[in-house]
Amino acid sequence: MDFDIVRFISTTLELVEKQNHGSIGVILLIGIIFGVVIQWSRVDTFDKIAGFAMLHGFKVPKMLFLAIGIASVGLYFMIKMGWAHYHVKPIMVGGLVIGGTLFAIGMAILGLCPGTGPVAVSEGNIDVAVGLVGGIVAGALFTYLYPELKGIMGPDLGKVTLTGLLGESADWFIFLYGAALIAVAFLLPNREIEEEVGEV
Amino acid sequence: MSLPRRLGWIPGGILIALLIWFTFSVWGADRPIGASTAISYMGGWLFGLQESEYFQKIKGSGAWEVLFLIGVLIGGSFTSLFITKTFKFRVLPPLWRKHKNESVASRLIWSFIGGFLVVFGARLAGGCTSGHFLSGASQTAVSGLIFGGVVIVVLIVTGRLFYKNL
Repeated sequence: MDFDIVRFISTTLELVEKQNHGSIGVILLIGIIFGVVIQWSRVDTFDKIAGFAMLHGFKVPKMLFLAIGIASVGLYFMIKMGWAHYHVKPIMVGGLVIGGTLFAIGMAILGLCPGTGPVAVSEGNIDVAVGLVGGIVAGALFTYLYPELKGIMGPDLGKVTLTGLLGESADWFIFLYGAALIAVAFLLPNREIEEEVGEV
Repeated sequence: MSLPRRLGWIPGGILIALLIWFTFSVWGADRPIGASTAISYMGGWLFGLQESEYFQKIKGSGAWEVLFLIGVLIGGSFTSLFITKTFKFRVLPPLWRKHKNESVASRLIWSFIGGFLVVFGARLAGGCTSGHFLSGASQTAVSGLIFGGVVIVVLIVTGRLFYKNL
């Protein structure tokens, strides 16, 4: 293992500057807002995420479904206006099913995922920092094994969206889709585990 | 300053939706939010795998997401120090204590295993909660919806089997 931090930082910044996906300041700002909102709503805790796996509290799915419900409608029209573009991931059947299963088992045990995990680390959770180390080892192992793993990730059924399948009628479908997700957010039980949120 | 100590799920969800719009927009980053690629990118660096096929494939998104996660760390620690005042070094989550055990060693070993599975699974699936759920399902992407369905079911089944005294 020879890790050169200076080369890591300079190469990373260089790679970011080469792509047209926002300046370094804008990307940091997006991350900061994400960190603030996730920490402020306290959905970065084991108690909230594993608590959902135990069906004790529902703040995490409520917030997720509401965010997606609102975002989907606006995003659809933003893309129509040319203010944004689709960035759709392909349907890799094997990868989604096997990967989704391993991911969910890990998420129930660790109580965090790759976006919320760093927020949990930033507020002092040492167990999650150990989980991050496990994640980095897994990331490296996956990178190493990728040529062998490609076979089980398929078949690739393409980058399909529901709005794309519907064509013209997607203009009204997107409202149904958004409304359905928002309805799920409101219908999920209001139960929370606020008093156990690990402040001791 | 009298900021609320907690954001409820409604303001939290609305703010995340606004952030998704900004990130996707041509004035923001013109790309989705994602987090898990950064972890394999860092793994690739630490273990000297920069020449491998997979690293070459993901290095662009990986580098972007590393910057994003640095921002997340800044935003998270700022908020936990000054707004929610929840910053504290700790190892055993209260709910783990209640429904698993009181052993620090057990929690740390399971954390490592859990983190390993989360990232290995996310890489097989091509994304995580951020990439597939927040960004994917917001585009009505079928891949994101399949991922979301599988994850919710397996998450709840694992919760039933792994924890006790539910």
